[in-house]
Amino acid sequence: MPAVIENDVLAYKGSNFFRQRLLLSTLSGRAVKIEDIRSSHDDPGLREYEVNLIRLLDKVTNGTRVELSETGTSVYFQPGILIGGQVTHSCCTQRGIGYYLEVLLALGPFCKEPLNAILQGVTHSNLDVSVDKVKTAALPILLKFILVDDGLELKVVRRGAPPLGGGEIVFRCPVRRHLRPLQWTKWGLVKRIRGIVYALRVSPTMANRVVESAKGVMLKFLPDVYINTDQCRGPNAGKSPGYGVSLVAETDEKTFYCAEAKNLEVGSGSVSLPEDVGREAAQRLLDEVARGGAVDSSFQWLLALWMALGQKDVSECVVGPLSEYTITFLQHLKEFFGVMFKLEVLRNDSEDDSDDEDTPLTSKVKMTCIGIGYVNISKRTL
Amino acid sequence: MADESAFDKKKAHRAKHAGRKAEKKKKKNQVDTSNLSARQRNPKAFAIQSAVRAERQFRRREDVIAKKQHIPQVDKTPLEPPPIVVAVVGPPRVGKTTLINNLIKSFIKTNVTHTNGPITIVTSKKRRITLIECNNDINSMIDIAKCADLVLLLCDASFGFEMEIFEFLNICQVHGMPKIMGVLTHLDMIKNAKTLKMTKKTLKHRFWTEVYPGAKLFYLSGILHGEYLRNEIKNLSRFISVMKFRPLSWRSTHAYVLADRMEDVTNQEIIRKNSKVNRDIILYGYVRGVPLMKDSMVHIAGVGDMKISELSYLPDPCPLPSNEKKRHLMERERQIYAPFSGVGGIVYDKDAVYIELKGSHSHAQEDEETNEKKTLLKNVVETTETIDEQMQESGFKLFSGGAVIYPEMVKDDEYLQKKNEGNVESDNDSTDGYESDSEHDSGIDQSEKEHNDNSKLPWNNSFEENDHENSGNQEHSEDTNDDDNDDSLSDDDESRTQDFSIKWKDKLTEKATEAYIERQKTSKNIMKLVYGDFEIGNKTKYEKEESEEESGNEEIGGLFKKVTASQKKKLKEKEKLDLDECSFFYALDKPLLRDWTNENNKQFLINHFVTGKRSTDEDASELLKLDDASDGDDDEELYGDFEDLETGAKHSGGDKPEHTEKSEAGTKRKADLTKSEILNKKLKLKAKFDAEYDNPDDHRIKGDHSYYESLKAEALKQSELNKAVFENLDNGLRIEVEGFRPGLYVRMFFKNMPSEFVTNFDCSYPILIGALNMAEQNIGFVSCKVKKHRWYKKILKTNDPLIISLGWRRFQTLPIYSKIEDDLKCRYLKYTPEHVTCNMHFFGPITPQNTGFLALQSVNNKTNEIKQMGFRIAATGSVNEINKSTQIVKKLKLVGTPLKIYKKTAFIKDMFTSTLEVAKFEGARIKTVSGIRGQIKKALNKPEGAFRATFEDKILMSDIIFCRTWYKVDVTKFYAPVVNLLLPINSKNAWQGMKTKGQLKRERNIKNEANTDSMYLDVNREPKVFKPLRIPKELQKGLPYRFKPKDKTTTLSGKPNNKFKNRIAVVKSPYEQKVSNVMKMLKTNFDKKKETQKQATAERLKNHKKKLEEEEWRRIKRQKELKKKICRQLSKMGNKKRPQM
Repeated sequence: MPAVIENDVLAYKGSNFFRQRLLLSTLSGRAVKIEDIRSSHDDPGLREYEVNLIRLLDKVTNGTRVELSETGTSVYFQPGILIGGQVTHSCCTQRGIGYYLEVLLALGPFCKEPLNAILQGVTHSNLDVSVDKVKTAALPILLKFILVDDGLELKVVRRGAPPLGGGEIVFRCPVRRHLRPLQWTKWGLVKRIRGIVYALRVSPTMANRVVESAKGVMLKFLPDVYINTDQCRGPNAGKSPGYGVSLVAETDEKTFYCAEAKNLEVGSGSVSLPEDVGREAAQRLLDEVARGGAVDSSFQWLLALWMALGQKDVSECVVGPLSEYTITFLQHLKEFFGVMFKLEVLRNDSEDDSDDEDTPLTSKVKMTCIGIGYVNISKRTL
Repeated sequence: MADESAFDKKKAHRAKHAGRKAEKKKKKNQVDTSNLSARQRNPKAFAIQSAVRAERQFRRREDVIAKKQHIPQVDKTPLEPPPIVVAVVGPPRVGKTTLINNLIKSFIKTNVTHTNGPITIVTSKKRRITLIECNNDINSMIDIAKCADLVLLLCDASFGFEMEIFEFLNICQVHGMPKIMGVLTHLDMIKNAKTLKMTKKTLKHRFWTEVYPGAKLFYLSGILHGEYLRNEIKNLSRFISVMKFRPLSWRSTHAYVLADRMEDVTNQEIIRKNSKVNRDIILYGYVRGVPLMKDSMVHIAGVGDMKISELSYLPDPCPLPSNEKKRHLMERERQIYAPFSGVGGIVYDKDAVYIELKGSHSHAQEDEETNEKKTLLKNVVETTETIDEQMQESGFKLFSGGAVIYPEMVKDDEYLQKKNEGNVESDNDSTDGYESDSEHDSGIDQSEKEHNDNSKLPWNNSFEENDHENSGNQEHSEDTNDDDNDDSLSDDDESRTQDFSIKWKDKLTEKATEAYIERQKTSKNIMKLVYGDFEIGNKTKYEKEESEEESGNEEIGGLFKKVTASQKKKLKEKEKLDLDECSFFYALDKPLLRDWTNENNKQFLINHFVTGKRSTDEDASELLKLDDASDGDDDEELYGDFEDLETGAKHSGGDKPEHTEKSEAGTKRKADLTKSEILNKKLKLKAKFDAEYDNPDDHRIKGDHSYYESLKAEALKQSELNKAVFENLDNGLRIEVEGFRPGLYVRMFFKNMPSEFVTNFDCSYPILIGALNMAEQNIGFVSCKVKKHRWYKKILKTNDPLIISLGWRRFQTLPIYSKIEDDLKCRYLKYTPEHVTCNMHFFGPITPQNTGFLALQSVNNKTNEIKQMGFRIAATGSVNEINKSTQIVKKLKLVGTPLKIYKKTAFIKDMFTSTLEVAKFEGARIKTVSGIRGQIKKALNKPEGAFRATFEDKILMSDIIFCRTWYKVDVTKFYAPVVNLLLPINSKNAWQGMKTKGQLKRERNIKNEANTDSMYLDVNREPKVFKPLRIPKELQKGLPYRFKPKDKTTTLSGKPNNKFKNRIAVVKSPYEQKVSNVMKMLKTNFDKKKETQKQATAERLKNHKKKLEEEEWRRIKRQKELKKKICRQLSKMGNKKRPQM
């Protein structure tokens, strides 16, 4: 769905990739117009969580102009200047906090003042990355671009499971004038596996059962496996019951892969066993490790964004196979910033030929681009 | 004893001082001092005498080093850099054109008849320059300063420096200082040798203070036959061709083009109908700075912001010589390219070739040969399309009745095909599945098989062919079920989905995984997968669109419907349109994960962990083995003697690629190579160690510069990477990825250019096209720090229009000056302060922080006005911050008067006009003139706007009450680019924007009514009359005698009492005396009587009171008695009652 450009306004159709478009619009300063949002659905127009996202963007910017049509099926979004600073936002419980947090993470380094955001809502959701995953796998990527960690922090104050949520996190992000170019072509071998199991308003044995099964799988590959349990009580446990696990594999080149699994929601009809949850997470982590690459597959788009926003120098990174989301994001990057990546599929020559059928899964993509020389125009110099 | 001692006393040994042995020994001990340094010969002289001094010396040395250090920058000059812009600047009639002519002549040995606009010439094997002359317009001076790499600043020595020179230097300083070389001309006008010497010296020193001490100043000592002396010009050209440049921050972040050719390609018919219609024009020039992105916004200085609607590169019209090894330039390689000046031979364009015909004479003699050549040339010239395009247009018919197939269609088909493959559930796969399903039930397996077959085909590697195969496949399958195909495909799909939904669902997850693997296999060209069929290089958007349109609704060969593919694509897009956004790898549907605990899979994965097997080059045990081997080889004498080792080390460099290949050569061989490599490394390490520790030349203590060195190394590494990464990429793709890199000659197509640009075109004005980075095309409030230039005569007033040159732009805006207070509040200033910086806010284009700018009050070049103004640059500064709103405040004092005063509370009126206003200010601090502080409490009902306030003391009715507040000042949203290039040719330097209020008043002769309060008048003061001091009697009593007011009536000092001065004496008659005596006696009697009566009454009253009291006492007594009695009775009754109860 390529954009139609009229008077320097990018026009799109459909509700998919709404977040990407608003995010890129805010960063690029170009207005977007999105039409036909669920126009043929039973409940047409923007969902609550999307309106909530617009609210959040309005909070972190100054001078943003949003025009919604009466039915909510079309939006005109003219971004302002990123302000950042102290932001408190209660996220919509239809989506996880991750949905909003990823946006803030992408915008964070380009604000006028260091971002200090308190987000409330569902910390672990099926549709979005959990806050644990962002903390363990996404923050190290940003750290590579800003190099010095002066106040990059994500604190999970309270956890909250869907549908009611009740979780809270604090996200702090320093500002930069520009990002460094990054060369990241080696990701090393997995040296340790850590994890955290949370159990909210359920029996603590659930957590232990999850740990046991997840560990059972991982120990077949690596002895260095430690999984913590986070048994929350009282108000810290949010408003709904739930449990889940997030596993992290760390390599010796500071690459973090993260996989998660959680129980099925209560109303969904079927019941999930803790053992299954643990095994599923472990399997997913192994899948992620097999895919390889310098970053976790869910954060390929963040890597691409920050590479593209770098100085006018060459950045190159090798990632695992591109996800559908990343592919669309790359297309959007081209439309908003005019930056195009050089993509090459690397062949694993070192692999033995017997694994021929496996190569597609592990074939890596080398992304090379020249940054657009993006500078943080909102920061103040004295 | 003596005997003993005599025995002990032996002859001491005497060393020989002469003879053969002594000589030998001397020679042995003698150190060869011939090749020793002074330090080694006499180390004591160089020893540290004083630690303090040594420390100081060290400190100073480090300071000097630190001063030289700059933050290392990544070198961004491309391999084939664009020509260097050499601008010749100076006041009129100073010899600029002559200098350019002479320089051209010295470089390329030809005379140029007239010079106009930029002239590009090849000066040496690796350098080209673009010469451009700057006219005497401040607009041009600004634009030139923004794009010049080297400035030749011409000055008439007989006259001295003129104001333009200083202005230009100032402009340069603000926009990034290019290299500046001064050139003094007209030196032959000074006849006296001594004055000449003095002039040179003074001018040189003045120049140095402006640029930097030691800046190069050239002397062109005279003119011979209308030319400067050949030797001097040659020297100057040598200097130009070896000049080095430092990157400037603005230009190393922005691409720019100095246009050297302009063309109007608007349809002549449209122009004929309406001469004012907006034109389509093409501008040409070299890209400079950083790569120019394809669809970026640009600013054309003097015109405004434009969008490049088409950008393509052309072959270099003035190329550098090929890389043959020779020392000098060949004659034919000394090229010149100057379209505005009308030189440059053949000009290649995208769609035409232009040939410079040398005047009308060339047409005169035409022989056969030239005729032949001409026809050939004509053919070339008339070819309007490239071969590629011709190929595109050639079509073929599959069937005699069918439509013509164009290659574009096929390509389009491929594109769609590819796009479909890219979707989550590989479209291609699934559709194939459906189609085969319609024929045989177990269609899925077959289709998969088909695909697997595909992937193993020999020409699978080339992507294009694979596509052909795919499309062929599809055609084939469509052929088989062409009966169904008459309906639209969407219907088909639906019905089939219903039919096979159950089966389909069963295998959904499996299929998705398969599809994914398939996608990965086939998507060798992943760029196509992501970006679709992007246009490469010069192929323009429009052509593609057209071709798409052409092929869009046609039938191929009258049999196969082309529509299906596009419809399919649309359908697919529609499906994706409203999905939930999710950033996970396996989006919403979860395909079957591989069971990694399975033994086979586990084997594959195990090597991703540190516990697994590693590749040979990083396996610790292998490395250790190698290390041992290399350590051992000294003892083992594997290589024999040492010399052999060295040669081995030398070999290793050449053998490297072999090693990296990891061929199946024996491990032994590999080990050998690595050994030599390690040896090499060791030698390097040793050399490094040696260099660090026993460097005998300089025994000074050195500081640690490793951080700086590492920064430098990093920058160097980055710049090498920048150059290497895209080097052997296909040029078209390279441009897509990298942008149009500096050094390319590009053609920029602009639509909707104002017609005045073409009709009033003057090529002596530079056409600077600067690219705008992200968000720079937007407009917002810019906050910057600014200082009025000390040479500018006036101070600047807030909200007076000011022309600002910032970034690429020149524009007029209304600035507001302010000052940042200690609490970071921006306080409004009406005028700029004299000698300090202040803040300035204006509404203008968003520009990165720290960008310098300069301000002018007018760019009008009327000579009398310039003379009046003197120096034209009003202010300079740099950008601080960008925002979409401003916070400038000015002081506001609200004044009120008391309405009514209670103790410490008072009602205040006249400060506000409504209750609402008061409500806004509740709790605000107020103050009286006398300094009594208070607070606003609440609004009153009655007089509108009055309120109750409390104070720390009682205020007076005559007090005035102030409320000090801040009032927000808004910045006027006014932004007008200076469009001097659109003005008529003769008045290009007379752009007039918004006028200041003062200018308007002067023009229209409007005079302000003077404020009477501000007038100076004679002050008449009436003497103040005070009330007499009255001391209360009580107070008087208490006062000591000396402070008591003296009654002056009883003075014995002989002075007549003033009190009775005016009184008249009364003299009574005897009768009257008698009467008064009687009256006196009567009065005395009466008084006496009254006295006695009064006493008697008092006595009586006393007695009466006594009597009353007695009576009262008795009554009370009686009552008490009675009470007692009653109480007794009551208690008796109570006692009786209690037992009963």
